[in-house]
Amino acid sequence: MRLLDPLPETDEPDGAIPGDTPLAEVEAAAVGANRLTIRFGAFRDGRGFSLASILRERGYGGELIAAGDLLPDQARHLKRSGFDAVRLNAGADPAEWRAMLAVIDTVYQPASDVAVPVWHRRAAVETLEQKAARLDARYRDADPETVLAAAHREFPGRIAQLSSFGAEAAVSLHLLAQVDPATPVLFLDTGQHFLQTLSYRDKLTARLGLTNVKIVLPDAAERAGEDPKNDMWRSDPDACCDLRKVRPLGRAAAAYDALITGRKRYQATTRERLAVFEVLDGQVRVNPLANLDADEVEARFDDHDLPAHPLADQATLRSVAGPAPARCGRARMPARAAGPAPTRWSAAFT
Amino acid sequence: MYRYDEFDHALVSERIAEFTDQVRRRVDGRLTEDQFKPLRLMNGVYLQLHAYMLRVAVPYGTMNSAQLKKLGHIARVYDKGYGHFTTRTNIQYNWPALSDLPAILTELAEVEMHAIQTSGNCIRNVTTDVFAGATDEEIEDPRPWCEIIRQWSTIHPEFSFLPRKFKIAVIASETDRAAIRTHDVGLQIVRGENGETAFRVFVGGGQGRLPHIAQEIAPAVPGRELLAYLTAILRAYNLLGRRDNIHKARIKILVAALGIDAFREEVERQFETLRHEDLRIPDDELARIQAYFAPPPFETLPKHSGPFDRALLADPDFARWSRNNVRRHRAPGYASAIISLKPVGGVPGDMTADQMDVVAKLARRFSFDEVRAAYEQNLVLPHVKLDDLPEVWRTLHAHGLATANADLVTDVIACPGLDYCSLANARSIPVAQALSKRLADLDFQEKLGPIRVNMSGCINACGHHHVGHIGVLGVDRKGEEFYQITVGGSPDEQAALGEIVGKSLPAEDVAPAIERALNRYLAIRHEGERFIDTVRRTGAEPFREAIYEAA
Repeated sequence: MRLLDPLPETDEPDGAIPGDTPLAEVEAAAVGANRLTIRFGAFRDGRGFSLASILRERGYGGELIAAGDLLPDQARHLKRSGFDAVRLNAGADPAEWRAMLAVIDTVYQPASDVAVPVWHRRAAVETLEQKAARLDARYRDADPETVLAAAHREFPGRIAQLSSFGAEAAVSLHLLAQVDPATPVLFLDTGQHFLQTLSYRDKLTARLGLTNVKIVLPDAAERAGEDPKNDMWRSDPDACCDLRKVRPLGRAAAAYDALITGRKRYQATTRERLAVFEVLDGQVRVNPLANLDADEVEARFDDHDLPAHPLADQATLRSVAGPAPARCGRARMPARAAGPAPTRWSAAFT
Repeated sequence: MYRYDEFDHALVSERIAEFTDQVRRRVDGRLTEDQFKPLRLMNGVYLQLHAYMLRVAVPYGTMNSAQLKKLGHIARVYDKGYGHFTTRTNIQYNWPALSDLPAILTELAEVEMHAIQTSGNCIRNVTTDVFAGATDEEIEDPRPWCEIIRQWSTIHPEFSFLPRKFKIAVIASETDRAAIRTHDVGLQIVRGENGETAFRVFVGGGQGRLPHIAQEIAPAVPGRELLAYLTAILRAYNLLGRRDNIHKARIKILVAALGIDAFREEVERQFETLRHEDLRIPDDELARIQAYFAPPPFETLPKHSGPFDRALLADPDFARWSRNNVRRHRAPGYASAIISLKPVGGVPGDMTADQMDVVAKLARRFSFDEVRAAYEQNLVLPHVKLDDLPEVWRTLHAHGLATANADLVTDVIACPGLDYCSLANARSIPVAQALSKRLADLDFQEKLGPIRVNMSGCINACGHHHVGHIGVLGVDRKGEEFYQITVGGSPDEQAALGEIVGKSLPAEDVAPAIERALNRYLAIRHEGERFIDTVRRTGAEPFREAIYEAA
């Protein structure tokens, strides 16, 4: 629904139809018209919603504009009743109107707009790809908080965050703590982390108030069988990666429909079109930080006074994009992000 | 019972986000109180005499134990340790802080509850028969249809700014336990052509200053057309209802002014041009919702229960409670138990947090995790084995919840009145308490048999005084509280408005006057006649005499 600028003050009649006009007169005015304005006399007086709905149902195809005493909180009622635009009053804040148009997405009942009622959405089983595409279209340009809140709404109790507690993890985890600190955070303990990373993990967990950090370990029996000397990373990095990352993480992540990552569009050229919702290996990946640039990430560290990774030269680590180090295998692991590593393991999926 | 899926969850969380923002804008001054008012009302928030009041919806009165437990938790943490069940089967909290409201709504959402549309000029919580799914009288369980109406009416784009509030009730038996004829729209499930579900539709009922009994507008609207028909009624009302006078804005005034036939024509005109196929609930969606209300797995039991029969003989208090508070059930060996929230001298409908916990546990152990709120301001355990009734009673008894007065004269329906409400002219709670103390003798109450007393603190009639067998209305006479008495009202399938007997009485005279009227009934009743039958036979005159005898 479009927001129209206030009209200049004038005593000239503007041709708007008052909301208390009898239906028959409104219908007569609509015949052959390509634009109608309905003026609400008071925001409490909801007659205009019925007038618009009836005109639309009876086939009026011209433009329909709402004017008069209206609140931003009525934006979606107007839109759903078939209005194309609202004429704002002098002093109205378009941002409030835009916010109110975005706030409610779920509708139960059919009306004169394109929103698909829940009844039909329930019946038409949406594939994961369709769901991700729908959400991505809606939240493509939204800020990280909005994306993450939407992800929690869409996948209640079936969502987790992946984190290696790497150089930029604090930003992503801080965001998570704001939305729901009880969300499971899957930390892959490869057995190859530096102690500093483990202590950083504990410090950040406490500082942010995260209550559900789950340590994901390689299967002990598999490790004993496949890498008894603990040196496979040297001889066969791909196999090492499979043993220590791909399989344990796959097992842990299977309990969820959606996984949150800390990936960002700017980190690599291949991520220029990184979606905020996408499907990877049969699961939805949510990338709430996709739209942040390096400066914004830096700003979040500063604004929220987030602790830096003890091993990281932050500036270098966070801004340089480059290929993953050879010993970490290639892009086969789930949810993994490329990035230079301060240690034997890369900063992985942040 | 119904369980949320991701869509229901999404809608409620979106609504909380929206309301949280509205509270913020009110607090920082971007919204005036005038602008905030309709928005907070649609989220169940009133400004009362002393504080904000939050009204939480109990859709069609059905709860599980986790929900009742959560209601108790909210009473304990955010209020003064109790809540008040209303005649719309909702619960009210009288002392929440405005800043706590988003947190409360978030906690409610955890157990699939909300306060959406519990006030404001929109479609309110749908009510139904408290024994739905348990009584052997019903054609089918009405609650799936209530749930369908709940979903259809939630945040309706066209009907959120109506001339006035709009209440709908649904029943599925000839006996009306939901007072459908006092509603803006009353729906009775009947068998239509080919045995399909159809709705007998009543419209234009209402209480308040100008009470009306609803009239039949359609004998049998097919189930698949129900939402289209409701839309047509609401559309006619939204366009034609009065907005110039708040006391004349309900649909009852429009229906009375046009006459039922002219109003029917308006509705039919709207009905013809609706896009019916859009409003036709898909078959698989109807089946999905009905599946949630499938009967619980009742055991196959004999009609009689040894433990129950023995307890009846052993304990006269239990026997009395069983006689008055236990109702017949469709499944042999089961019963529905009414938990009276009307102890002697208590506040009708009030319940403490601890009592809510107790009933939640009983529901989980003994009633397939279900508990109901009745519009009479009581709770019901709908599906209890006769074998278990003695233990249920002992637990209730230990927590002050076993008052054996269901449907008797002290089972008073009352609004909160001037103790809380900013609209009231007079207090209703102390008058109800005085009556309940004066008539506390249960032998006397049982001798009287079923009598409903209703009490409202003002003409808005939240205590349904117009349709009480005996009604009491608080009025303001030159700054003093007086009470007007009516007799002969009835909320059921023979709905009628009570007749005012004469000039109003001071508070202390109300209970003695009612007692005199009751004694007159005992003196003149025929064999087997209930109080309301006697009033219908004799008219109000004998009771008028008795009420003013001493004056």
